Amino acid sequence: MAQNELKNQIRRLRFENGEMTQQQLADKVKVTRQTIIAIEAGKYAPSLPLAFRIARTFNVCVADVFQYDNDTAQSQ
Amino acid sequence: MTKKEEAWIGLFVGVPILVVPSVVAVFIAYDKGLSFALLLMFTGTVVWGGLLWLLPYIQRRFRKDKKVITFDERDQLIHKRAVMASYVALWLYFVAACVITWCLVGPNGSISVNVMPLTLVGGLVLFNCVQGLASLIQYGRGTKNGAK
Repeated sequence: MAQNELKNQIRRLRFENGEMTQQQLADKVKVTRQTIIAIEAGKYAPSLPLAFRIARTFNVCVADVFQYDNDTAQSQ
Repeated sequence: MTKKEEAWIGLFVGVPILVVPSVVAVFIAYDKGLSFALLLMFTGTVVWGGLLWLLPYIQRRFRKDKKVITFDERDQLIHKRAVMASYVALWLYFVAACVITWCLVGPNGSISVNVMPLTLVGGLVLFNCVQGLASLIQYGRGTKNGAK
């Protein structure tokens, strides 16, 4: 699966949750800030456990955080 | 120190400072007839150069401050891919070394056995260089937007 097929709402959710910084989110889900940056930019697709940890940090389900772009996938 | 910085240091410091001088020391000892030191130092060089890629995993295991995350799943994936690329390059290097030597010397020729450890050292240098380059390329792709 190419990384550009996977969209995410992490940046918006961070600002909606007390303007959480990337470092704060990274500390909560136990990764580095560079990984959060790469995920937000769509350069890295997180593992399933990490995706669940991110979703639980924002008290939402995984589908609310990550969206799979089916149209982009089919055109490739 | 970030993993990207470690890759830069490994590429431009680790190889010329660690690998090359240790090999030179081996040949100096050999020239002086210290066969025991030769075996010890050469083994150390091969083990150090061939197993150095395990260091991040060992560091992670014995890290005292486990609250600070310095090697996460993305770093692990990048490191794994870099090591795989290094081993592929190493294999191609040895294939090329065998074929080129055979072409240059010919089927009835002969070469000194000193070529063999030299070939191995070249492979070690290549391994570390490719690993460093592969790490830097992957980190460069994933961190275009570094701003908060």
